[in-house]
Amino acid sequence: MRFEKHCLWGLMALAALLPLLVRDQYVLHIAIMVLFYAVLASSLNLVVGYVGEFSLGHTAFLGTGAYTAAILSTQYGWPMWATVPAAGLLAMLVGVVIGGITLRLQGPFFVIVTLSFAEVLRLAADNWIALTNGPMGIAGVPQPALLAEAGNLDAKQFYYTVAWLLLALTLYLSFRFVYSNAGRAAVAVRENRYVAQSIGIQPLHYSMLALVLGALLSGMAGGFYAHYISFVGPEVFRFAFMVSMIIMVLVGGKGTLVGPLIGALLVTFLEEYLREAKELRLSIFGLAVIAIVLFLPRGLMGFVVQWRASRRADAPKVAVAPSQPERRAA
Amino acid sequence: MELLPQYLANGLVTGSFYALSALGLTLILGLMRVVNFAHGELYMLGGVMGWWATTRLGLDFFTGLVLVAVVMGAFGWLVDRFLIERIRHQGEEPGILLTIGLSIFLANTALLAVGTAPLKVEAPISAGPMFLGPVVLTKLRVFAVLVCALLIVAAWLVIHKTRLGRAMRATFQDPMAAQLAGVRTANVYAATFAMGTVIASMAGMLLGSIYSAQVAIGGLVSMKAFVVVILGGMGSFAGAVAGGLLLGVVEALWGGYVATGWVDIIGFALVILTLVFRPYGLFSKRAERA
Repeated sequence: MRFEKHCLWGLMALAALLPLLVRDQYVLHIAIMVLFYAVLASSLNLVVGYVGEFSLGHTAFLGTGAYTAAILSTQYGWPMWATVPAAGLLAMLVGVVIGGITLRLQGPFFVIVTLSFAEVLRLAADNWIALTNGPMGIAGVPQPALLAEAGNLDAKQFYYTVAWLLLALTLYLSFRFVYSNAGRAAVAVRENRYVAQSIGIQPLHYSMLALVLGALLSGMAGGFYAHYISFVGPEVFRFAFMVSMIIMVLVGGKGTLVGPLIGALLVTFLEEYLREAKELRLSIFGLAVIAIVLFLPRGLMGFVVQWRASRRADAPKVAVAPSQPERRAA
Repeated sequence: MELLPQYLANGLVTGSFYALSALGLTLILGLMRVVNFAHGELYMLGGVMGWWATTRLGLDFFTGLVLVAVVMGAFGWLVDRFLIERIRHQGEEPGILLTIGLSIFLANTALLAVGTAPLKVEAPISAGPMFLGPVVLTKLRVFAVLVCALLIVAAWLVIHKTRLGRAMRATFQDPMAAQLAGVRTANVYAATFAMGTVIASMAGMLLGSIYSAQVAIGGLVSMKAFVVVILGGMGSFAGAVAGGLLLGVVEALWGGYVATGWVDIIGFALVILTLVFRPYGLFSKRAERA
């Protein structure tokens, strides 16, 4: 817990220093995307890492948030400080509905039904033209009035600050959740559902809490995305977004708070770096994903945690119990 | 209302195509419990290779089909032995991520190799119309439905009437007991994955002769196949066929009478409703291993 806390403080402090050092817009843009993805990956991690169910429907919340912010600001003229929380709240409502239906299922059923929800919302965004402008998307989401006279660099720095605050909020809430009784109960459910039930933990209750919290955070990230990119189309519901998020969580190490941050950093940079390879980019990316599953099954943070634990127990050679035992396909 | 028989016929034709393209997945997802996101890409590879065999190599359709089946069978076997085997019995997460990686790799490598243009697989018979009472279908589609039925029956026979099939059923009921009885379970897993791959790729080639083989089709095929498998119940052959036909008919009726734009939403809505009210699929009993 303390190690994790120190890591988070250190990373966030470094992130806060970045805009003072860097005046390059491209680098700032990448940094903003890293922060944005870090929020998404952390919120997904609440479900995947702490509830232990593999959700492929997280784009539902992201997209709901993005569309909410876009519609509220273009059609009703809401300012950004109001649209982003509203986006989070609406995504939270969607989370309650989706969670209520899906969390009763487990394993492959949960995976596919969450994916179905994201697809339903994508198709709705594609076809409900009166509300969402269909495949054309909603363009020209207004920027905050504050930025009316600011230059490009100032705008980037403003968005960087907003994203940083959003990530700080995400980490604070996740930290409070994970190290509360509710978080521990969720982990108990993840480790062994039946034992957890036998000591009076209601699985649905805690997994719902985690899912709704995740939905709130990714909805706010979606609202941020709508203003920053100033365009929202049905792509926000696409599976590709989901794939990036999942890879970030698993590369970094699910079930740790630091893991998704590292995952977001690595994957965003890898995607940018591979632009050099042009057409081969995605093929290489696919191979990298396969390699990670085979050679780094518990993610980078899982690796670090194991290493630290083995160092601590160095004198008597004790085998490190994996924090999450392999779940046998029953 | 006079169009109803036509809609129904179209729905049944599309439905049998859905059933065939989901059949491979019902083996891999239903029996092996690998949530195979590369399923659509295996289907796509079948189509692309079918195009290559019929137009570039100049083979006729059926020789091409055999060639595709053999090559893809070997490919499926290798994928299982070198990739899937290493993450077996670790829950579904590694499998999902692995197959997502595989699907990204296959789709984009195929894109580099043949480009985005739709590829036409040479059909074995002409596309002329056929009149059956009030219903019009093309000869090609009727032929494809027959081939579908044939393939489905063949797959069923392999599973229920052969030694390999018996070993498969034993392995998926209880791997340990099967191993004790002398079944080489590693080979059985690989054979199942290979069989799923073969069926998917044959479906891809067959349907590539009716529509066209496209590199980017994979995602859509995977989604529809997931829908069909969930509707029918995991690992159930009859369920996959029934789920496919149901999906085809409902989509055709919805497209005919309600709105064409929303057709794709039907499948997902059906899945959500199924899982809310009958979590083990429409056609399977509760005895399914959860």
